Amino acid sequence: MEHPRQITVFQATAILVSTIIGVGVLALPLFAVRAADSGAPLVTLLGVLLGFVGLALITVLGMRFPTKSIVQYSEDIIGKWFAWIGSVFIVAFFAVLTSLTAREFGEVVVTSVLTRTPVEVTVIVMLLLAAISTRNNITTFAYIHYFYTPILLGPGLLIVVLSLKNAEVINLQPIWGNEPGGMLLGVVTIAALFQGSFIVTAVIPAMRRPQKAMKASIWGMVIAGGLYVSIVVAAVSVFGAEEIKFLLWPTLELAKATSLPANILERLDAAFLAVWVTAVFTTLFSSYFLTIHSASKLFRLRDYRLFSFFILPIVFIMAMFPQNIMHMYEIIQKVGRVGLIITIAYPGMLLLIAILRRKRGDRVEDKPMD
Amino acid sequence: MKLRLDGAKMSILKWYKKSKRRAAVSVRDQVLEQHQTVRINGDLEHTIDSIQRILGMNDDFTIRRFHVFGKYPAVMFYFSNMIDQASININILKPFMYLPPHLEGKEIESSQLKDVLLYDSLYHSEGMLESQFTQLIKGLLRGETVVAIEGLEEAFLIGTRSIENRSPDQPATEQVIRGPRDGFIEQLGTNIALLRYRLQTTDFRVRTMQLGRRTNSKVAICYMEGITSPDLVEEVNRRLSNIDIEAVLDSGYLEQFIEDNHVSPFPQVQYTERPDKVVANLLEGRVAILVDGSPLALLVPTIFNQFYQTVEDYTERFVLMSAIRLARFVALIFSLIFPSLYVAIISFNPELIPTEFAVAVAGGRAGVPFPAIIEVLVIEISMEVLREATIRLPQQVGGALSIVGVLVIGQAAVSAGFASPITIVIIALTTIGSFATPAYNAALALRLLRFPLIVLAGIFGLYGIMIGLILIVNHLLSLKSFGVPYLSPLVPGSFQGMKDLLIRGPLWWMKSRPVFLHVQDKTRVDSSTVEQLNESQGVELDPLKSKGRKEER
Repeated sequence: MEHPRQITVFQATAILVSTIIGVGVLALPLFAVRAADSGAPLVTLLGVLLGFVGLALITVLGMRFPTKSIVQYSEDIIGKWFAWIGSVFIVAFFAVLTSLTAREFGEVVVTSVLTRTPVEVTVIVMLLLAAISTRNNITTFAYIHYFYTPILLGPGLLIVVLSLKNAEVINLQPIWGNEPGGMLLGVVTIAALFQGSFIVTAVIPAMRRPQKAMKASIWGMVIAGGLYVSIVVAAVSVFGAEEIKFLLWPTLELAKATSLPANILERLDAAFLAVWVTAVFTTLFSSYFLTIHSASKLFRLRDYRLFSFFILPIVFIMAMFPQNIMHMYEIIQKVGRVGLIITIAYPGMLLLIAILRRKRGDRVEDKPMD
Repeated sequence: MKLRLDGAKMSILKWYKKSKRRAAVSVRDQVLEQHQTVRINGDLEHTIDSIQRILGMNDDFTIRRFHVFGKYPAVMFYFSNMIDQASININILKPFMYLPPHLEGKEIESSQLKDVLLYDSLYHSEGMLESQFTQLIKGLLRGETVVAIEGLEEAFLIGTRSIENRSPDQPATEQVIRGPRDGFIEQLGTNIALLRYRLQTTDFRVRTMQLGRRTNSKVAICYMEGITSPDLVEEVNRRLSNIDIEAVLDSGYLEQFIEDNHVSPFPQVQYTERPDKVVANLLEGRVAILVDGSPLALLVPTIFNQFYQTVEDYTERFVLMSAIRLARFVALIFSLIFPSLYVAIISFNPELIPTEFAVAVAGGRAGVPFPAIIEVLVIEISMEVLREATIRLPQQVGGALSIVGVLVIGQAAVSAGFASPITIVIIALTTIGSFATPAYNAALALRLLRFPLIVLAGIFGLYGIMIGLILIVNHLLSLKSFGVPYLSPLVPGSFQGMKDLLIRGPLWWMKSRPVFLHVQDKTRVDSSTVEQLNESQGVELDPLKSKGRKEER
């Protein structure tokens, strides 16, 4: 049983949702507002669509080669050497993404909750958690995401609903924003938040019915994108575009601004952050898993568990590279934009060549639900 | 010694281990091993000598010489404390000594003797002929009686076993208000009888094997033919037959060998001493394992939600029991995270709780010199010690200690400025919460996991609790019991199973057996029953109707 094909469409959707929703949500309204002040929701929506393009490309590729991950089928498509270069980039990119995610969350925790804890500690704890969890197999991986998805969606939606009390529709106008010039860059930045969806390449080879992968992708993007858009709408309508520009993590501020009815908890931000640990964990878990999974495929190793602790110090050092929060966000934006080449352009090129060269993978016959 | 059947492929390391294992073959029962092929030869004195030599000197071993039909010398062996004396006298000795009435006056040749004894005179259903020495000895050790006769190359092995036992009374660990009151006892035979009488069907199957090199305990594997997945039965069989230990003193010994993950704090096998519970689980498609000498049956595969379900959930009406089951689940979660939540909020995020309450808590903690984590850990540990003390004490003293101990010590600790009142309340709630979990072993797992969580909460606050919980949940999600994911039916989701997860759905909702057990026969409730339920019930005694009828008369 090297590849038990057990993951259902439902689970694949959950994997996508919980992978996409992560630490990026906290700063998301800020990025969107910077790009197009009151046009932030629209920018977010366009970003979601761009992100979906990348996801759709990978899904189509995955359905073409239902038994292989991107590292393997790229060899079939463009030959060993080119594919090797591409795969090295993929592995490196996701290692960097992992480290940045961990660092970003570490900064959030250190700034808002554990003010006296060194950021190194929070980062290493998160990374260790992900590294320990990646020693499980792909089925357990799916179970973990499946279990946490409702836990992530709940608080996110709760914050949105509770903030409606203080919402002002006027803040959302004009819908186009005041300077549509910066929109394109904003769209690219926001699309970069969806790069976690690349995990689908590792999921499709383990799906029970790979031909239904597209369904999972669409649903995953609709749910995650819907949450993103609604959070941006909520943040902008509560604070107004100009106010948000002075807030580092508007979503967190949104949690502070809301309170539960009947005064059960005085402030929601600490509780929200605590629950958000799971969201960040699932994101980290996916990117870490993808990194070691692709690396093991790259070096043709059967057991990817070897890598889980081997990569840890490297990722940790990368996570500690940015000097401070500002520096970190600069790097995150740059890396995200560059990453789009890897997550959208590269699969697009592969798909094009695959169609031209008429390459296909082995079909997987429909297995009954036992 | 059983050798494992690993596949054809074997790595060097495995081979090396295996060869070592082979070198260290230990003999099951040395004396019996030597006499493997020895048979009875008809020489009575030789038989007596051999049996005495094999069994050694035992004061409870009886050798009784007598004459069959007044002329053939014979001898009877038994362990005097394991047999039913009256049955030996009346049903064995008497028929052996006297000719049967219908054969009066006939001369019995020694060649016919065996058949006459077996077919005409022995008044015992469990009588058989056996020539293998080892079988005879094993029979003796089980409590059977052996009768050897001069000139016969086979001896009689007669079932006279009678061991003192408890009567099946109310189970000590799983008491119910509404439900059957009988529990398993130590005797395997009685336990199987208790199951049979609840399952009077041809589908109920029992397979037995003997485990334990020195105890030779009988182990029964019970399942339902046509319901239970045959693969599961095979797997249980395989795992059990791989066990080669000296003694099986309780089913708990087997549990530790057959579970999937040996280091997990969570039990992957459920034990119970209630026959009705075993039957319900058999009907769901599980396999039960009973061991002679243990009043606890094992049920496999086990999933997490069985640990907060009780028999009563199904005997009482569903609306009420759903509420109570939810309360039980809350108690279970409470017992895991409550103290650590308290530590985290007090030490890191006091802003989370409403101001008035925060002030009250701070006032209570004013005289306490320790940080919250130390305080909670100390009280928690003393609570565990108290609980252990109550279990170990004789019953008459135990009740007094528990109540007095907790009240007095808690009160004294508060007045001494050693702990704050709120801490005592929290710990008390936690402890009570862990008592509400029906399964002792699951409660134990959660109780122990509390401590690392408290420590994490003391270091990292809420963030630490989440880290701890994520680790625990990930572990739960990676666990499997005989291949069934531990958190089924929640993960992987099954709508059918959700009806019996947190709430207890009405019996007519649960039309099919749990999916994850891969049963052969899926339906439980006939659809016609459900249809009838949905039709209006008879209203024969409705006052309006009966009035009308009276007037007609």
